[in-house]
Amino acid sequence: MFVMKRVVVIAIAAAVLFCLPLLTAGGGTALAAPSPKGSCKGCHADFASVLPKGHPAVKGTGLAACSSCHAPDLAAKKPENAYSVRMHRAHIPPKGKLECTACHSWVPGKSFGLIGRKGSFGKPDKEQMELLKEIFASWASSGYTDSLHAEAGIACSQCHGKGLPTFDDTVENAGCLKCHGPMEELAKKTEPKEFKDRNPHKSHLGDIACTVCHKGHMESKVYCLDCHKQFGMKIQGAAKK
Amino acid sequence: MKGNDQDEVKAGNAGGNVGRRSFLKGALAVGAVATGGFALNMAVPGLAEAAKRPLPKKWDETIDVVVIGSGFAGWSAAAQAAIGGAKAVVIEKMPTYGGNSIINGGVYASYDDKFHYRQKMGLGDDSPELHMQDTLKGGDFFSIPALAKVLAEGATDGLNWMIDDGGAVIRPTVVRAGGHSAYRTHAAGIGKVYVDALKRIAEKNGAQIRLNTAVTWIWRADADPKSPVLGVEVKSGRKISNIKVGKGLILASGGFSRDVKMRGDHYPFLSGENWNCTNHPGATGEMIRFAQSVGADTLQMNYIQLYPYADPETGILDTPALIPFNGPGNGIVYVTKQGKRFISELARRDHVSFAQIGLGPQGKPTYTIFGDDMVEKMGFTKGEIEAGLKKGRLVVGNTIAEVAQKAGLPQDALVETIDKHNKYLAEGKDPEFNKPITKAMLPMTKGPFYAVAQWPAIHHTMGGLRINEHAQVIDIFGEVIPKLYAAGEVTGGVHGTNRLGSNAIPDCVVFGRVAGRNAAKG
Ligand SMILES: Cc1cc2nc3c(=O)[nH]c(=O)nc-3n(C[C@H](O)[C@H](O)[C@H](O)COP(=O)(O)OP(=O)(O)OC[C@H]3O[C@@H](n4cnc5c(N)ncnc54)[C@H](O)[C@@H]3O)c2cc1C
Repeated sequence: MFVMKRVVVIAIAAAVLFCLPLLTAGGGTALAAPSPKGSCKGCHADFASVLPKGHPAVKGTGLAACSSCHAPDLAAKKPENAYSVRMHRAHIPPKGKLECTACHSWVPGKSFGLIGRKGSFGKPDKEQMELLKEIFASWASSGYTDSLHAEAGIACSQCHGKGLPTFDDTVENAGCLKCHGPMEELAKKTEPKEFKDRNPHKSHLGDIACTVCHKGHMESKVYCLDCHKQFGMKIQGAAKK
Repeated sequence: MKGNDQDEVKAGNAGGNVGRRSFLKGALAVGAVATGGFALNMAVPGLAEAAKRPLPKKWDETIDVVVIGSGFAGWSAAAQAAIGGAKAVVIEKMPTYGGNSIINGGVYASYDDKFHYRQKMGLGDDSPELHMQDTLKGGDFFSIPALAKVLAEGATDGLNWMIDDGGAVIRPTVVRAGGHSAYRTHAAGIGKVYVDALKRIAEKNGAQIRLNTAVTWIWRADADPKSPVLGVEVKSGRKISNIKVGKGLILASGGFSRDVKMRGDHYPFLSGENWNCTNHPGATGEMIRFAQSVGADTLQMNYIQLYPYADPETGILDTPALIPFNGPGNGIVYVTKQGKRFISELARRDHVSFAQIGLGPQGKPTYTIFGDDMVEKMGFTKGEIEAGLKKGRLVVGNTIAEVAQKAGLPQDALVETIDKHNKYLAEGKDPEFNKPITKAMLPMTKGPFYAVAQWPAIHHTMGGLRINEHAQVIDIFGEVIPKLYAAGEVTGGVHGTNRLGSNAIPDCVVFGRVAGRNAAKG
């Protein structure tokens, strides 16, 4: 429910417009039948009903109708990509149930692109693909840091950079601080009134990674509490919804 | 390489009866690594490791010197290995570096320092020989003298190295702490000062660190005395990989105070979860078990130290909890809830801890009383005292009676105790507890005075892997295990029954350097 509320605010267009048939069909869980690859016809007779307000009319029944304008951002240059975020969230659980390959072309270990378009995001093999799917699902709805970002319209590449993240990818502090920094500001915000040295952003452990506490795809935890059990600090992205 | 079936080393029982013969009959072709064959393996039955494990077919990478652990010992070893020309990588399982070292109290025993503070403050004589003797005595002569000697003789050079090459800043004082017969304990406020100095030296010479990476196994083909350790298995996130060790594997993985099973197995009195503990959560004993599984010997695992002065509520060793340790040479006084002394303040940690435990649970907590004029001499700043007051860890009063009242102690009793102690200082004699009185001990005649509450918490594991003075790990038959080194709290035999306070940092730094130097030679 917690996620839903935010989704309604941030991604109302996506949630309602793209998924109307799904939502009415069964609590937003299932597509009747998967569309043929790259075709949207199975669910969307026409696009008029799912387009955001003010969107120019779209011709066609397939992916190309969208991607002719919304070209895949292979170079990860767009600072934000609401189109990509909305499209993904509308079509994967819990809202939709499409396989990646409904829209994406994938040759395991070789390439991963968009059906009908040139270019590749990376070379995920089967194992990597499983991981990506799992993490993508988390991003879409977990309540963890990843989904808080999804709700704000932020996709993988804005934290992970160009290309599909690989197995041991992490996000360096500089990446987080691009939007959330500088660190001194963060430290100011979290400085306790009474005990100024009990500041999670100015730890006695020195320069530590944001990810020590703020986990992307797992439950975030205040590391301080492992020793200082009495501190009673809270963190976003802590609980599963 | 090929072992015939019969000769392969099988997973032994936990407490196993794997004899020397079955050990030595392990796969034979030493040196023909990573091309099949089974690994030496004595894991607990049922664990993944307990399966008859083939050695890795291929290594994911090769590193000259692999150092496990990023505390004093690990960084010292990595620095010295890098200086010796080796590629050195520190592997750390936690998401932050530093282990117990980075939360440590920063007190370092050394007979001298480049500023010669002891001499300049007129605090008497000292020598490495005396430091060694104190170390042996403080551990009831259970230490291996050759190891204690390495510590005492290398301590000063280690300290100056961190100051000169690493930029460590120490405070301008030297204190006399429990169990030491000289003013030789240097203060830096917090262990991070040294960790960062060592890290700087290591990184400046090319060493690297990998966080969030746990060692999950040590690879060795068999227990032949010529058979070296081959590498380690590591786990990072979900990824498991194998690192081949080029020149040496250095275990600097710290003590096991947080390993409830291991500490209870060796010292049943300390079993269970209910003890407070000063250590970081990663202070567990798996590296000791892995090393044992490839033949390493351990000693004195049952000697586990309680820190007598931890925060009674949390068990944390914060700055206020360091005052009772630093202060005896400056005249602080320990009292019970009844406001009475119960031991010589210069007593060893184990004696102070058990004197408190002897008071019974209703005796918790005891207190340290000290005066304002001692603060800087003990190695603290006024700011640290103020912070302690604000957090409620200290109470202050202009008179002893006021301190007593704020701490909830009987006023008359405390006033009488302090008066008596002042008299002992003036007379140079402590008829009650026989504390050796020195001139640096100040009487408490002029306020403000302070009190801090204290109680024992599990703190340090004196036992661990058996090493020689070259930091080489010794196997259960007394032979060196080629390419395997250990340094710091993971080792045993340096401190005997009881580690003297401020002896752990020099232990880690000195043996870390020895291990790093030797490993780099390959
Ligand atoms: C609160 C506190 C205060 C202290 N104050 C003092 C003091 O003032 N003076 C003094 O002399 N001594 C002091 N001591 C003792 C001293 O700090 C320790 O003995 C010392 O820090 C041990 O250093 P080390 O390098 O051996 O291990 P550590 O600093 O504990 O480092 C070992 C590291 O190895 C890592 N590790 C363990 N297993 C694995 C694995 N399987 N894979 C990867 N990494 C692993 C751990 O996570 C840890 O980070 C204090 C101890 C504590 C707890």
